[in-house]
Amino acid sequence: MKNHHITTLFRKAWLLIPVLLISFSCEDFLDRKPQGQLLQTSWPTSAADALAATNAVYASLRNWYFHSGGYPILDIMSDDARKGSSPADQVSTVGAYDAFAINTQQDGLDRWWAAVYQGIRNANIAITYIPTVPMDDALRTRYVAEARFLRALFYFDMVRAWGGVPLVTVPDPPLNMTRATSDEVYAQIISDLTFAAQNLPERDAYTGSDIGRASKGAAKAYLAKAYLFKGDLINAEQPAVDVILSGKYSLETNFEDANGVNGNFGVESVFEVGAKPNDGNDNGGAQYANTQGIRGSPNRGWGFNRPSVDLINSFEANDPRKEATVIFLGEVLAGVPTLGDLTNPDTIKVNNVIVEVECYNQKVWTSGGDTPSQWGHHRRLMRYADVLLMAAEILNKNGNSGQARIYLNQVRLRARGGNGSILPDITETDQNLLHDIIINERRHELALEGHRYWDLVRTGKAATVLGPLGYTAKYDLLPIPQSQIDLSQGRITQNPGWN
Amino acid sequence: MIDLPMVKTLIISSLVLFSFMATAQVRKVEGRVTAKEDGEPVPGVNITVKGTSKGNSTDLDGKYVIELGPNENTLVFSFVGFTTQTIDVGNRTIVDVVMESDTDLLEEVVVIGYGTQAKSDLTGSIASLKGSDLTRIPSFNAAQSLQGRVSGVQVFNSSGAPGAVPVVRIRGVGTFNNTSPIYVVDGVILDDISFLNSADIQSMEVLKDASSTAIFGSRGANGVIIVTTKLGKVGQEVPVVNVNAEYSVQEVGKTIDLLNGKEFGQITNEIMPGTYNNLNALPNTDWQSLIFRTAPQQNYQVSVTGSSQKSQYYFGVGYYNQEGIVPNSNYERVTLKFNNTYAITDHIKFGNNISFAPFSQRNAPDVVYQAYRAQPLKVPYYSDGSFGAVPNVGNPLASLAYSNNYNSGMRLVGNLFVDVSFMKDFVFHTSLGVDALNSKSEDFTPAYTVYNPDGTPNQQQNLLSSLSKGTSTSSTLLWENTLTYTKQVGDHKFTVLGGYTMQTTSNEFINIRGSNIIRDYPELRYLNNPLYYYDLTTTPNVNNLSGINNGVDAGMYYSMISYLFRVNYNLKDRYLFTASFRRDGSSKFSKSNRFANFPSFAAGWNIINEDFMQDVKLFTNLKLRASWGAIGNEKIDYLKQYSLIASNGNTSPVFGVGNNLVNGATWDVAGNPDLRWETTYQTDIGLEVGFLNDRLTAEFDYFSKETQDILVPLRTQGYTGNGNGALITVNAGTVLNRGFEFNVAWQDEFHGLKYRIGLVGNTLHNEVLAVGGSKGIDSTLVGGFLANGQAATLSSVGLPIGSFYGYRTNGLFQNAAELTSYPASSEAVVGDLRFVDMNNDGKITAADRTNIGSPIPTFLYGFNFQLEYKGFELLADFQGQSGNKILNGKEIVRPDPYNFEKHVMNRWTGEGTSYTEPRPSFGGYNYSISDRFIQSGDYLRLRSLTLGYNLPAKWLDKVSVKSAKLYLRGTNLFTVSSFTGYSPDFGSTNVLANNIDNGAYPVARIYTLGLNVTF
Repeated sequence: MKNHHITTLFRKAWLLIPVLLISFSCEDFLDRKPQGQLLQTSWPTSAADALAATNAVYASLRNWYFHSGGYPILDIMSDDARKGSSPADQVSTVGAYDAFAINTQQDGLDRWWAAVYQGIRNANIAITYIPTVPMDDALRTRYVAEARFLRALFYFDMVRAWGGVPLVTVPDPPLNMTRATSDEVYAQIISDLTFAAQNLPERDAYTGSDIGRASKGAAKAYLAKAYLFKGDLINAEQPAVDVILSGKYSLETNFEDANGVNGNFGVESVFEVGAKPNDGNDNGGAQYANTQGIRGSPNRGWGFNRPSVDLINSFEANDPRKEATVIFLGEVLAGVPTLGDLTNPDTIKVNNVIVEVECYNQKVWTSGGDTPSQWGHHRRLMRYADVLLMAAEILNKNGNSGQARIYLNQVRLRARGGNGSILPDITETDQNLLHDIIINERRHELALEGHRYWDLVRTGKAATVLGPLGYTAKYDLLPIPQSQIDLSQGRITQNPGWN
Repeated sequence: MIDLPMVKTLIISSLVLFSFMATAQVRKVEGRVTAKEDGEPVPGVNITVKGTSKGNSTDLDGKYVIELGPNENTLVFSFVGFTTQTIDVGNRTIVDVVMESDTDLLEEVVVIGYGTQAKSDLTGSIASLKGSDLTRIPSFNAAQSLQGRVSGVQVFNSSGAPGAVPVVRIRGVGTFNNTSPIYVVDGVILDDISFLNSADIQSMEVLKDASSTAIFGSRGANGVIIVTTKLGKVGQEVPVVNVNAEYSVQEVGKTIDLLNGKEFGQITNEIMPGTYNNLNALPNTDWQSLIFRTAPQQNYQVSVTGSSQKSQYYFGVGYYNQEGIVPNSNYERVTLKFNNTYAITDHIKFGNNISFAPFSQRNAPDVVYQAYRAQPLKVPYYSDGSFGAVPNVGNPLASLAYSNNYNSGMRLVGNLFVDVSFMKDFVFHTSLGVDALNSKSEDFTPAYTVYNPDGTPNQQQNLLSSLSKGTSTSSTLLWENTLTYTKQVGDHKFTVLGGYTMQTTSNEFINIRGSNIIRDYPELRYLNNPLYYYDLTTTPNVNNLSGINNGVDAGMYYSMISYLFRVNYNLKDRYLFTASFRRDGSSKFSKSNRFANFPSFAAGWNIINEDFMQDVKLFTNLKLRASWGAIGNEKIDYLKQYSLIASNGNTSPVFGVGNNLVNGATWDVAGNPDLRWETTYQTDIGLEVGFLNDRLTAEFDYFSKETQDILVPLRTQGYTGNGNGALITVNAGTVLNRGFEFNVAWQDEFHGLKYRIGLVGNTLHNEVLAVGGSKGIDSTLVGGFLANGQAATLSSVGLPIGSFYGYRTNGLFQNAAELTSYPASSEAVVGDLRFVDMNNDGKITAADRTNIGSPIPTFLYGFNFQLEYKGFELLADFQGQSGNKILNGKEIVRPDPYNFEKHVMNRWTGEGTSYTEPRPSFGGYNYSISDRFIQSGDYLRLRSLTLGYNLPAKWLDKVSVKSAKLYLRGTNLFTVSSFTGYSPDFGSTNVLANNIDNGAYPVARIYTLGLNVTF
């Protein structure tokens, strides 16, 4: 009988096996991480991570949908440029911006919106998590300041394009956000730029592969610009003047170098988007110039953002900047004659009046015999000439037209290129007339660099200047992309006039 | 171990018996029981005296002795696997009995998940294919045998290339993701059975409804195919040796009607006037005839099976070799199979099922599509023997000649198990299973250049030789433990199953590339010597592996834990109930979604066993059953739950005067940590009938299954910063599949002619019920991207999955007036297609694209005939489908001047000349995706036709051969179809890209001569 009990026990032991298996910790057994992948939950944790996180915020500037051509090129909406390319190309997509015929689902809006917010997310990641990384305190503060500088740039684009937008300041925002007010967005921009201006080093503190990072001067220049756009001229003055008085910047001798390859990260560059002459965004290239480059022969691109006849005719007599802004057919650049697109007419007439001539944006021109070389163009987001003209505008508005004229005439002096018979110094003393002159100078100095449309809206001149082209008041702000309104289930509301 | 209580009972009952016998008049009956099949004795047959509890069983020689009382006259002989016989003894003292195997009868045993069950006790919908049914198609993959044989099952080919795994779909398409069923081979859960020789398989059961699949929980939603391999039968002590040899010849069943050289020249001249001056002088090359060949296929198999007192065994060795009908493609496989059981004691049995299969494969480049596109007026070779240039697509023959794409590997699948029976009614089963695959790939392209007629290099060239090599290992370990309790108390029969299983799967994959191998020798195809190769691409890449470009090193690792439970309850053999439950935990999901429960319930009513049916002689079987359950699908892109870090050129800025790309990293698109399994809820109602002594049998099922929580990639709000076009995968889709299945057979014998007619089929209604999202912009799921990036399918609510999406056409613009009166695209000219203005806005825009057909058949069917007469046998299997469409994708994508299909000759050349075939053009407007490229997918095919002859026994006896059969077989002999491509039975594993013909490798027509000998 004892044997019987042992047998029974043995049998029962079998039954215990599953019980043992179950008690064997299945949570451990089932915890498997994805292989070969770094998870967001374990990053950033080191100084190298913090640097990489900061760098990625800059990379957003090269995004095809942001500064590479996949977004609306706003000069096309201004009086400075037409759609370009061949007449039938991208009529409904790009052409609609030229014709003031865009709608809430207009091609480019949604991509731009998403791409800028991607940059904002990258910045928010850096701003939120780098403070938790154990590393050198000074460097950590600088990284956060760089990210906050860039976040301000992104929101500055958004607030100018759309007004108040969802104000995201965390990496993983809730899904029920609504639009902030324009003032709230500006407050965030000014807070970020103020922090950046306090904590970033001057540009010459950067060497080697750090050249091109955000600097104190860049932060102050943008701070001035943000105040200027906000209409706060009192606060705008000091940062603009600070940049000038810092002595860290000057104008390039040759106007072409202000945007050209010789001026990359040069004396006039306050902030620019670095790029490599490689085909492909993932190889370090930026397609901004290729989008606008010569179409046809020599093949340098697609030929969008074509200088308008109005712009060409608006330059003062013999202003060398006209030739340096526009590539005309037949013009020889780096020994290569510009033949252009041979399959399309060289001029377009309406009622026997020439309304468009085939020409190209020389500001993005890059020497080099192939298309990839165009990918190496560094877009200047802020250059010293812009700072001088902003300072002139602000000082004039603040009653210091004398100092304003000094800065204005510095820009004209360089434009003159040593030719004393052209572009005489401005001596106008009337505040309003001088203001108009400064705005006009901005047009010619900064033509096709993406400033004109916003300058016209900001100064209230859009109705007068662009009205004949189709502009109406609702165009002061672009429509919120319909897809974003839909995705938010209506929580994000449309701008006035676009419903 | 001596079971003391049992000994006690035995002694007492013997004493009682002896005392009874002493007082009664008895007579003795003896005899021998043999099997009809082989004439061998059957040991262990249970013999009872009817109306008493007396009984005995046969000994090892099949002999028995039993004593009968005065009023006792009837003996009942019963044994598992044989028909029970009731015999009146009469005055006989010797009663010899021949037992007939009952595998063809209703009482057959069906393999179910974690057990077996008598077919009459089933409450679920399970179809079973056995033995010779599995070898009627000369294929390396037994799943091919299911096509047209099992209702509710669709089998098709994604490619006809040797080694291409067939696609199997059970009861429709229930997900936008992986729709493949799982295979359970002798208890090991697998995704594919390419390693199995069909001749080693005893049976395949297809589990279709929730009652039968829910025990497989999160892996059962696409259906389960249980494969049981062979094992020697108990008592079969003389080994049976079987040799099977097949030699086949394959050819392309049909070629596509394309333009010849002259016709192509003529059409080209109409598109680009003056291209060719003398049409009659143009060369004419039939590229299809150059790339297809007649190719052999061989299949040999030797097996030994049998048993001894303590063990059963099966050994099988197979060799399969298939050359492709396109040169430079083949598949070769050796299969080794050994299954054994060893009874250590009466209570403990060990066993193993092991398969080992080394294989190698050569893959041809995609020359089928090349030959379709190649202009017929280009010569294959110049007069000097070098390859002729073919503009735009390249010379298919050169592509073949310079292609060296191989893969090979070995797969080991099997398990070791122990069965312990105890306390009479319990069986504990534990099994350790393994599935290991080691494979490698090699792709070498030598440096070569094809020259244009003028001597300049054609774009078909490879300036530096290139070599890509990959290795992959994957292994699964599966430990399963089940405890089964079986009990009968009066009219109540119970089977209770409980189980616990653990599984881990790991997978590693490495691929490296290099260029400029110094010689083309096969033995130099290694990337080990930096002197002999360098990277072609010098572009810096942040993630570059040092020295080797485009390297990939990836891995996957997951694990599962499952608890399973099932109760079968049978009351009076009339009322059947089954409840099952499985709880699966998977490492694929986050802690909160890690475990999920999959219950099922079913009931059956064997009406035939009711008292009121006993006088109804018409029926031999009548059964109703119904089931409901929830089953999961975990074959989904679970990595989408993770939020990863992205670090690449797009996240890296350029700094410094030297334009340095500086490494940056940030968050990638957010994962969805809430991701969980897809769940299918299925209801099934079935009716089984047998008439006229089971000469006519029929089985009908209605099923309705709704799959919820299907993974769908959805757009997210832009301000989340995931980037333009970012998609986040969400459990948001719902799909319905419902249909009616039937399986009817008639079998009888007529003057020595045995015949059987079978008919199977099912209807299918497939409908997307939800694809997630809101406000319309996300209620779309596009797919089926053609080579030019156009999406050809849109799976929207109310339509079948993967429905084709494009313009509807309405004739041609016959004249300029129509062009203005009818809504027209700005691109359209006279002679072009008229697209229908679906939204009536007066314009033809992308918004006018609409549903133009479904790729999913609404009716699948098969019928077969089997005739046997005096050693001859004739088998014919027909199979077909209807209700689906095919998109002729290969015709649509034409950025360059390619050859045309013949129908272009019926083109519009002026008003009234054609109303369907537009003016010819090399691409453009008329080649937008439209119903012009939609064709009917209906077809009927003679899948298999076999004529066999069993050599007479009198010849065979002389050479000690038990049986020998010689047979001739044709596969895919003819197909009735209006489809202009090679074969209408193709598709894709991607349900969003189904039935789009992008120039797939055709399925062959096969002629086979076979010999099967049993010793």
